[in-house]
Amino acid sequence: MGDMDSGVKLERSDVVRSFWLWTFFSHANYNYERLQGTAFAHAMTPIIRRLYKDPEQIKAALKRHLVFFNTEPNVGGVIHGAVIAMEEQRANGAEIDDDAINSVKSGLMGPLAGVGDTISQGTITPILLSIGISMAAAGNILGPILYFVLEIGIMLSMAYFFWMQGYDRGRDGVTSLLRSGLLDKVVTGASVLGNMVLGALTYQFVHVFVTFTVTIDQSNFELYKLLNSILPGLLPLAFIVLTWWLVTARRVSPILLLGIYLVVAMVGAYPIFGEVACPSILNPFFQPDYCVPAPPAV
Amino acid sequence: MERVNYSRRMRLVALAISAGSLVAMLAVGPALGADGENPTAGLFQAILVGLGYYLSNSPWLAGQGGFFGLYRPLVAGFLVGIIFGQPVEGAQIGAAINILYLGFISAGGSIPADPSVAGWVGTALALAGGLDAQSAIALGVAVGLLGTFVFFTRMSVDAVFAHWADERAEAGDISGVARMNWLPPQVFLFVISFFPATLAVYLGAPVVSDAIAWLQTNLPWFLKGLQIAGGMLPAIGLALNMRFIFRGPVVAYFFIGYILSVAAAGGVNIVAIGIIGVALAFLHVTFVGNRGMQQSGGM
Repeated sequence: MGDMDSGVKLERSDVVRSFWLWTFFSHANYNYERLQGTAFAHAMTPIIRRLYKDPEQIKAALKRHLVFFNTEPNVGGVIHGAVIAMEEQRANGAEIDDDAINSVKSGLMGPLAGVGDTISQGTITPILLSIGISMAAAGNILGPILYFVLEIGIMLSMAYFFWMQGYDRGRDGVTSLLRSGLLDKVVTGASVLGNMVLGALTYQFVHVFVTFTVTIDQSNFELYKLLNSILPGLLPLAFIVLTWWLVTARRVSPILLLGIYLVVAMVGAYPIFGEVACPSILNPFFQPDYCVPAPPAV
Repeated sequence: MERVNYSRRMRLVALAISAGSLVAMLAVGPALGADGENPTAGLFQAILVGLGYYLSNSPWLAGQGGFFGLYRPLVAGFLVGIIFGQPVEGAQIGAAINILYLGFISAGGSIPADPSVAGWVGTALALAGGLDAQSAIALGVAVGLLGTFVFFTRMSVDAVFAHWADERAEAGDISGVARMNWLPPQVFLFVISFFPATLAVYLGAPVVSDAIAWLQTNLPWFLKGLQIAGGMLPAIGLALNMRFIFRGPVVAYFFIGYILSVAAAGGVNIVAIGIIGVALAFLHVTFVGNRGMQQSGGM
């Protein structure tokens, strides 16, 4: 590409401006027909403005980027970076036709949506949320603040990194990044951490109890105490594994499950066997003050 | 008109608008808000909640601050708490509601529920009704289910604006294409998100608080049921998240995390568990690697 001295070069600031447009507006006009299609064109406007002067070329470039597009907006930015690099080469006379650009977009958007959603929505977000939720539930307002700062900081840096990787390394770079296995390592490591945190959250938030009491020879055997003598916290653990099995293996709809659990809870609360006594709630074993609190003040 | 730094100006305007609304929300809300122990949802509080709900769906907070920030009930609950002058309670309610949406993933334009409306409107109603965090979960979920209509309406109607963008492209109007991606869809989104949320809080709060008062005297077991449900429903949210990570050899770490908490009887905080988790993640990736893990993303 040594003989292109007369060509148009993009400024670094054009690429950065394009990045910010995408970061802000990727879902501003999210719709069933094109999903992020208009947002892609929006993000390309600084690039088109710099590279093309001929009205026909501008028109063609705008239409080229208004087509259906959908990917994960942070990791997927690597596509935009690569497409910007291709547009730049094309404006400088390289043999890159519409099909080449379209195939990079449509070929990469699926895989990167998968990888990206796994990383951003599937692992980073729930892990940070879990930490924030756990803190907030204990009455610490740093929970939401810490979550917000860390989440936005990580997402923005990640998005910027992938965007620039795409631009600097082009489409071959994207493919090699996908093949390097680095992303899989990150996902595996995050799953380890995610599982630990989910386990802790289960302890903190899942409370199930049985009020069942067996009377033999005038001595009461409370079922929950029996279960806890096997393993403290056995019941919530069994309950979460059951729920996981239902939604994963049995594919029970979460909404249906929600309804079922609500009904079970209401039946459990209905004073058919007399008033539900406080000590029958399972968790007082660990949290003696977990008794059903006084009715909320109105 | 074809100035190149149009986008920079846009960005500044965007940040100014959203930062301004946030400051207004945080400063003016409590001042006009709660008197005494029971926060009342005045029109002004309701408007701030409606504004917060719109912002959570909008692009104005650098994109990320919406979907990854204000959209989450944890953050929304905290902000609603500030609006009502009860930040700690708000954060606790938001946290409890958020548990249900821990496994929430919006992919390919499908959304199973609306965490944001559950966080914003749900927390506001729970605070107004004097519900505790655990009982608020069921209320939040109910509101969240109703909220999906905003998403579907928006996804359908916004397709029109894509065709407006086509027309601008045909005319070679670069700024016009850019404008069609934000101006009409955001005006539309504001109308369909701000007004329903504001009305739901303004009209709904007295209804919810009356209903709870009535339940207390007439059907106390129902409120107890809500509380029990609050101990069961989080299992669904957690299980939905487990769909993605509870597989392969790493499931072992779930049990480690749980038993660690049980053994410490809640005495280890989440940051300590997180640090142990990072250490174990490092060891796992170093010595086991990806063995036994499914390929991510379907490549």
